[in-house]
Amino acid sequence: MLRQIIAITIKDWQVLVRDRGGMVSLFLMPIMFILVMSAAQQGMYEVADKDNPLQILVVNNDAGQYAGEAVTALEGVEGIEAVTSYDGKITTREYAEELIVDNIFDVAVVFPADFSERVLAAATDEFVEPALVSFIADPATSYQFLAPIRGALEGFIREQAAYAQMPLRLESGFDSLAAQVPEQQAPFVQEVGSLFLQGIKSDDSAVSTGSLGIEFEQTAPAAYKATQFPTSAEQNVPGYTIFGVFFIIQVLAGSILQEKQKGTFRRLLVAPLSQVALLLGKLLPYYLINLVQVASMFAIGHFFFGMNLGNAPGGMILITLATAAAATGLGLLVATLGKTPEQIGGLSTMLALTLAAVGGMMVPVFTMPEIMQTISKISPHNWALSGYQDVIVRGLGLSDVLFESAVLGGFALIFFLFAVWRFRFEEN
Amino acid sequence: MNSTPMIKATNLKKSYGELEAVKGISFEIARGEVFGLLGPNGAGKSTTIAMLTGLMKPTDGTVKVAGDELSSKANHLKRKIGFIPQELALYPTLSAYDNLLFFGRIYGLHGKILRSRVDEVLEMVSLKDRAKDQIETYSGGMKRRINIAAGLLHQPEVLFLDEPTVGVDPQSRNAIFESIEGLNQQGLTILYTTHYMEEAERLCHRVAIIDHGQIIALDAPQSMIHSLGGGLVRVGLMNGKLPAFHTKILELSSVKDAQTIESELMVQAHNTRNALVDMLEVANQMDATITSLEIHEPNLETVFLNLTGRSLRN
Repeated sequence: MLRQIIAITIKDWQVLVRDRGGMVSLFLMPIMFILVMSAAQQGMYEVADKDNPLQILVVNNDAGQYAGEAVTALEGVEGIEAVTSYDGKITTREYAEELIVDNIFDVAVVFPADFSERVLAAATDEFVEPALVSFIADPATSYQFLAPIRGALEGFIREQAAYAQMPLRLESGFDSLAAQVPEQQAPFVQEVGSLFLQGIKSDDSAVSTGSLGIEFEQTAPAAYKATQFPTSAEQNVPGYTIFGVFFIIQVLAGSILQEKQKGTFRRLLVAPLSQVALLLGKLLPYYLINLVQVASMFAIGHFFFGMNLGNAPGGMILITLATAAAATGLGLLVATLGKTPEQIGGLSTMLALTLAAVGGMMVPVFTMPEIMQTISKISPHNWALSGYQDVIVRGLGLSDVLFESAVLGGFALIFFLFAVWRFRFEEN
Repeated sequence: MNSTPMIKATNLKKSYGELEAVKGISFEIARGEVFGLLGPNGAGKSTTIAMLTGLMKPTDGTVKVAGDELSSKANHLKRKIGFIPQELALYPTLSAYDNLLFFGRIYGLHGKILRSRVDEVLEMVSLKDRAKDQIETYSGGMKRRINIAAGLLHQPEVLFLDEPTVGVDPQSRNAIFESIEGLNQQGLTILYTTHYMEEAERLCHRVAIIDHGQIIALDAPQSMIHSLGGGLVRVGLMNGKLPAFHTKILELSSVKDAQTIESELMVQAHNTRNALVDMLEVANQMDATITSLEIHEPNLETVFLNLTGRSLRN
């Protein structure tokens, strides 16, 4: 039986590698996705560090000092570059909008002329109209990209405004206190207030350059052993590789249908060949192709984009073996469901795309509604991606991907058993 | 000498829902015999051969190969069977050599024995010089020859050929016939299905004529042909006089037998020319109008026509 399985494997391998269309869909298409998407998204994943700061256009129309002080403080933040002029021209609101429309910059912040005046007035008058700071961005820009930037800028500007208001609020507080104490104590209170304010003001600047005693860091849970955050390749390559692996469905199912239509299947059914040998021999070359696919895609990710492969080759191998088993099992199942090339093609495409979408290949699962996150569990893609991310992005090991591998193995077993049950080993 | 039949089919039936494709076929094929299954398209030949080779489970009945009952798990019996399907069951992007290597391995051959057998069958079908070329570069006749070669690799004891010459040029067809005759002379038992009566007449020791899922005649081709006498005259008559005409011509000495099939009379004649003259005279005397008249020389086609009223190639 083993010789027969090997014979079928060799024959199918020979036929498969001569199928140019099949090779294109199995290798070229996922490679194109990986190359294009990783390169295109490099900026998204490597932005906002000191080597590649996020550039923010700043238009400072403030007649006072405090917007300027806010901009100065902003420039001190690592990963952010406040741009106040471009191409020799000082940025105005109109110029900033033009630069955004031309896709040269993504965001701009505009301080109005009465920024300082209104900030200071608000310190003692809660009914004064607030200063309107404009945050300008292309409406087509992803909300996920803009929201954190805007949030950070708002927090920063509010902090600076609070510093500017603090002396006035304190002065107002002391004046209010002096009005409430007995008349002979009022001058004493005012003098204390004056001395207090002199202590906190230095060089007439409201901006404190001293430390607030707070520092922020961005890190991962201790259970994860990641030492840095993923690159675009580390985010994209596993996903598109899994996408490509499941293209095997159509190629495998189509091959079985072709055998039946061409008559070679009849020859095999007449031969002294067990059903197990026949199916295993058919599956094996496609399984091996899946493994070659994964190795090729990850090699491209590693050598072209410096993709980290994690520290657990055993875990990587296990997830790959389990994913390939699920993909080939599903291919066999589709072979039993489709009776024409059109049916096979339609069913394969629908399954590949739907399972990929549901499984988080196109949109991260965590961004989906709760019910969709539950449904995503029925997609083998979800488990495969989770396994690869555990190894590559979270720095986890073999034992940590055992569960995902087992689930994928379970999918493979269910697909295979169902296919064997439906498979026609007799002429119809 | 082993007298156990090589193939024994007993009351084979196959139904697809309410459609009965094969309605109870029984026959035996002796060792070393070339047995023909002759019938028009849709008669049930391919369904019968599918049941005989284990491709299909009969709805009823049994198949025995060399005395043992054939089942899907009987791999030891399947090794004795060689099958040449009607369609070209080859991998077009592989070479003839690679195709044969593959099928040989499926039948348990390997190593030097396998390569030696591949060379032998390529020699047998005269394609050794093209062995390394892809099948898709072959002509139709060449593909047919490799199709046959693939079924002979494992040296079966019985060979099933399902219409092996469909679409083949006369030269290749003749080469196929010579191969079959040569194999049979070496002792190979052969079941040959065809709708070409000349093939059955040339190759087969016995022929079963099959129509609508049933065997309607089974005998040596020459015996069937002799039973027709000098030939067959097919007569159509107007005016409802066919029964009376039928009765009168049975009295003619030139007529061996006659039977009415639908609205025509099939007349087996001792001599077709004499019978024709006699029948025209009878029609004239009866004032009966002959609407159609055909003369068929004695052959298997005529036998089929006599039995069914239809041509083999309908």
